[in-house]
Amino acid sequence: MKIVVTVKLVPDTNADKRIDPGTMRLVRTGVDTVLNPFDEYAIEAALQLRDKLADGSTVTIFSMTPESGREVVRKALAMGADDAVMLSDPGLAGSDLWATAYAIAHGIKTRGFDLVLTGTQSTDAISGDLPGLLAEYLGVPALTYARELTIAGGRLRVKRETETGYQTVSAPLPALASVTKSANEPRYPSLKGIMGAKKKDIAMLALADLGLTKAVGTDGSRTEVLALATPPPRERGRTVTVSDGAEGARAVLEFLKSRKLL
Amino acid sequence: MKNVIAFVEHKNGAPRRSSIEAVCAARPVADALGGEVHAVVAGPQAAAVGVALKAYPVDRIHVLDDAGLAQAGIDPLVDALDAVARAAGPSLVIVANTMIGRDVGSRFAARVDAGVTADVTGIEVKGGRVECSSPKLGGTTIATCAFKNTEYGVAAIRPNVFAVNVVAGAGETVVLAPSGKSYAVTVEDDVEEAAPELGVEEASVVVSGGRGMGGPEPFTGMLHDLAEAFGGAVGASRAAVDAGWISHGHQVGQTGKTISPPLYIAVGISGAIQHKVGMRTAATIVAINKDAGVPIADFADLLVVGDAFAIIPELTKLVREAKAVHA
Repeated sequence: MKIVVTVKLVPDTNADKRIDPGTMRLVRTGVDTVLNPFDEYAIEAALQLRDKLADGSTVTIFSMTPESGREVVRKALAMGADDAVMLSDPGLAGSDLWATAYAIAHGIKTRGFDLVLTGTQSTDAISGDLPGLLAEYLGVPALTYARELTIAGGRLRVKRETETGYQTVSAPLPALASVTKSANEPRYPSLKGIMGAKKKDIAMLALADLGLTKAVGTDGSRTEVLALATPPPRERGRTVTVSDGAEGARAVLEFLKSRKLL
Repeated sequence: MKNVIAFVEHKNGAPRRSSIEAVCAARPVADALGGEVHAVVAGPQAAAVGVALKAYPVDRIHVLDDAGLAQAGIDPLVDALDAVARAAGPSLVIVANTMIGRDVGSRFAARVDAGVTADVTGIEVKGGRVECSSPKLGGTTIATCAFKNTEYGVAAIRPNVFAVNVVAGAGETVVLAPSGKSYAVTVEDDVEEAAPELGVEEASVVVSGGRGMGGPEPFTGMLHDLAEAFGGAVGASRAAVDAGWISHGHQVGQTGKTISPPLYIAVGISGAIQHKVGMRTAATIVAINKDAGVPIADFADLLVVGDAFAIIPELTKLVREAKAVHA
């Protein structure tokens, strides 16, 4: 079985992030980039499924990224994936959510798959919309927010998180699932894994390989950024030091009443 | 784009609050575009939800009442929205930025190659064009986006941001025909683990605990009691979730949920950037911490320095008393 995991490069949380006012795009040069932390759960889930199946199944990392993302793709390989595909083309620059999903889906289709795993969101865009878009363009069922995944009898079965509990949901393969943080504890790449990753194959895909019928990149995108503004910063509020519980509780209560919150 | 279509989530025959917000957010946009507000409700007890929606400013309520749909998960909901949107013509679709709303909105978007704007906190119409604004980069930048190259747009609105407007619209009910499809996805069971309280995204008061809680007990004990007194929800920092004290669904912050409740109470949470990005847009932030030097002091409206384990139970009593007076 061919398991494909989509991964994204994101700026490090502690990095100083800014948007270029000219292009209205996130400045990605000179900023530390890391593997989107949410994607690590999808990679770990894929590795566990592969190892459990133990039938020659493979895990392929798929990333739409400029060449500068190669090291992050290597990190995903170092965790234990078998190979990787980088969809990299100057024509993809400026792609919005729609264009990104459309291009990635066609890239994955070009390479073939039985199961696509994604994270639930990225830490920079935080839209959570990619899994749904991908599933539609791939033409497969979407089992989102999976915290437990099993494969049996040609079906994918997941425990799917809901706001108040979970559902057990299944669908025939091929399928897509997004994997939540509760699914597993992602492994750290071992030294052997890091060394081995250097020898693993990273195939390159360009726009021309995808056979797209719709334009992507800045021109083809379905949204455009009109303006960027900095919201007023939160002001430092009041600090009250209290000596016991009753005094602390009263301080909060009075404050809430003054704000008409009680 | 002319019309605005709100997708309505519901449970036990009642619309979710965030979906009512979607319906109300749709009204001024439709008025500015010279179109109508449509609502789409599908699933078990959808008819009752449709009746409840008549109290809000919606023109047409499309209802597909079918208990069997619940077994097929998200797919029939996407089909229902798709059918309404195609019949209505070029439109803006508003979903709540919730687990179901994101799934339905994104999948619909792919079907019509529509632009998607996520975590929207403002919608305006300028020169006949819909503009959506969303906080980006952990709330440090507000990006305003417009749709292009598309007849449809999807806006996933952040719960607790758009006001609820109780003004009845025309409220005409339109019965939707079932898609007649057989669905690949099967929902085998649906288990409620938590009390059927609101999640942190929708609650108007969120009481969150962090590393300072020291263990799982406060999350089911004092924090839960305080949240309950407010009619709110219990949240948590990553430290608390990673320690296994509470499940990930409660996590607020970078690798959890980004929320904007009217009141956020952070208990034993230092307020590191990973947490801050998830709650900095709360209307009011109260922090309780034993250390005056925590980062949250810089952006909380009130920091009470003291023993949370002594303060919270006392506060719960006072909140209950205050609520009882008003009740």
